[in-house]
Amino acid sequence: MRIEKRLLARVEGTAQLELVWENGRIRDARVRIPSSRGIERVLEGRPFMDALVITPRVCGICGHAHLMACVKALEDAIGHVRLSQKAKLVRDITLMVEMIQNHIKWFYLFVMPDFIRLGEKLDEFEPFRGKRWKEAISVASEAIKVIAIFGGQWPHSSYAVPGGITSNFTSTDVSKALALVSRVEGFFLESLVGMPVEAFLSLRKHGSWEGLKGDVKLFIDLCFKYGLERVGMSYGRLLTGGEVFPCITPGHFTGEKKLCSLNISKIREADGSPYSGAKRVRYNGMPYETGPLARQFLSGNPFVKRLHKMYGDSYMVRVLSRLLEVWELTSTVKEKLTSLYSFIKEPSCQIPFQKPERITGEGVGIVEAARGTLIHRVSIEKGVITRYHIITPSVWNLGPRCEKYLGVAEKAMIGLENPIHAEMVLRSFDVCSVCTTH
Amino acid sequence: MNILWIQRLSCCGNTHSLLNCETFDSLLREVSFLFHPSLSAEGEEEVVEDVLKGKLKVDILLVEGAVKVDDERIKELCRMADYVMAVGSCASYGNIPALKDDSVCGLQYRFKEKGGLLGSDFVSKGGLPVINVSGCPAHPEWTAGVIRSLSRGIKPELDSWGRPKEFYSSLTHWGCTRNEYFEWKIEPESLGSKKGCLFYNYGCRGPLTYSSCNVILWNGVNSKTRAGTPCFGCTEFDFPRAGLFETKQFAGLPAELPIGVSKRGYIMLSGIAKVFAPERLKLED
Ligand code: SF4
Ligand code: SF4
Repeated sequence: MRIEKRLLARVEGTAQLELVWENGRIRDARVRIPSSRGIERVLEGRPFMDALVITPRVCGICGHAHLMACVKALEDAIGHVRLSQKAKLVRDITLMVEMIQNHIKWFYLFVMPDFIRLGEKLDEFEPFRGKRWKEAISVASEAIKVIAIFGGQWPHSSYAVPGGITSNFTSTDVSKALALVSRVEGFFLESLVGMPVEAFLSLRKHGSWEGLKGDVKLFIDLCFKYGLERVGMSYGRLLTGGEVFPCITPGHFTGEKKLCSLNISKIREADGSPYSGAKRVRYNGMPYETGPLARQFLSGNPFVKRLHKMYGDSYMVRVLSRLLEVWELTSTVKEKLTSLYSFIKEPSCQIPFQKPERITGEGVGIVEAARGTLIHRVSIEKGVITRYHIITPSVWNLGPRCEKYLGVAEKAMIGLENPIHAEMVLRSFDVCSVCTTH
Repeated sequence: MNILWIQRLSCCGNTHSLLNCETFDSLLREVSFLFHPSLSAEGEEEVVEDVLKGKLKVDILLVEGAVKVDDERIKELCRMADYVMAVGSCASYGNIPALKDDSVCGLQYRFKEKGGLLGSDFVSKGGLPVINVSGCPAHPEWTAGVIRSLSRGIKPELDSWGRPKEFYSSLTHWGCTRNEYFEWKIEPESLGSKKGCLFYNYGCRGPLTYSSCNVILWNGVNSKTRAGTPCFGCTEFDFPRAGLFETKQFAGLPAELPIGVSKRGYIMLSGIAKVFAPERLKLED
């Protein structure tokens, strides 16, 4: 038995992987996430609105999702907050755009370079130099402008507030956002799946992933070449908490046939373990994977349904779910932007006036972030936060083991024969250590 | 120019902010990254070893994230580099990670106090103290701008907080589209209004914060205050203060007045301004 420690690059933050080898196979794996920044403690004792500024700082790549979970939790605690259709639409739009930029960056910056390390010659994908690598960064930044149009800036804006949003915009702004989204759509069709929209949609109808071209095809071919199409499976239990109609529906899948609804009172978080700064979270006592695979499977994405049927929750399927979700998100964003025109005259923000000192209550906010289900819980007493609690997507996927079960990502690495494969499987969860510990 | 990027206690926001730099592609042609934790294919350890052994030369070391007061590794690296940049307010002043943890600080400050990890006298090989590109996160054009200057042999002039004057000598308030409302002392009816200045009741720190957010817009399109969100003063050592959406009042006056404005002047001018404010500004459309 040999123990190997690997420090992971190309993840959000720092993560360490500890592999226990026996007869050339991984017998056990531990994911170590270093100590936290104490954001929950920083919030205690502050006026509740401060959470809108501080919680996005949990994470530089999904800070917006934190803002959305936070504002929902605050609204829940305040009670009787009504939102205009305009505010609702804009919140959904910016949340989804954050996921889009995440997925694009993640695939080109974090996933593809692993194949170079496996010995593949992929000049276009080479960090700092490759044409596609640079193009991905520029397309992601273009998408992000949509958030900035409505939210002022990205990263770290705080434009969602109880009762709505702070910005007021024109139909020209909406048109510009639509133009930016079209550019992402163009990139998806030309570079990622390599075909015109009609061809893609006809494949999508039956989930015929075999017909996809472009970088997705390249990725699939590489998976088969290196034997990654069936490895990296975990418990097969999938969970989604947030909802953005129609591309994200909440629910859970226990690994058997049926899709079930979600009961959030069955979510429990317990303290971590001696080896990781992360906590662990269970649904109904069981570990669940959250993220694009869960989301797209539960929302009935035809590609993901077929892929999952053929290869389960493998490395390849997990990565492809994230990539194919870009389409689902982009087309939903387009629809929502288009319908925004008719609500442009609505108020951006309607706050039922209450003195902050009068506000006492508890609230929960659940949204989907790029990596999966994100939950904020807040307790407010006389306008001041007495407790703030965050369960991040990465806690679901990367959290440590309990007495009964290994962590989701830990389980997925057992049995692998190549340490780079183990890193890749771990990376397929879109590792975010800054979120995990917060 | 060889660049080495190291992260400590951070959210990675400064990295993602820099990726939004509109001329990132050309920046990559001007300088070369020895290592970046999110971008490099290979691991960190070897590169850092080579740097410490003197096999690799670092021209600019960029640190993202607050540091522990006993982080010898970073100290050593700072001694090897020609210039040291703290990217973001965590690396500059400690920021959120330092709030509830005494063992955490910025490279050359801990909030207001000079010293930090490296000590107040630290000067890098190239003859500058730590260059604080503060901000939560640092604006991509500020970070890229400083890198470009250094790579052309231009040493940025720093203000008393270690920040390059070029980006931090004017206030957020400059260029804000709500300035006219500020001048005539018109408050917005509620958040979500295009009109009205956020200084009076929503805690805007624009007149008290050195940053160029309304001059060099974010993502090339907008800023917080233009989008109706108050400035939270994220480039200053005391970010995040408590009560970020509130304007503390003292006897009917904002407890803190815009930088350089006397209390007497403020009282006189604001009284007059309110009375003579043009009607067109008071109407919501
Ligand atoms: S909103 Fe803030 S930055 Fe804009 S004018 Fe008012 S005080 Fe200045
Ligand atoms: S407007 Fe203020 S809070 Fe926002 S980024 Fe600029 S300095 Fe920071």
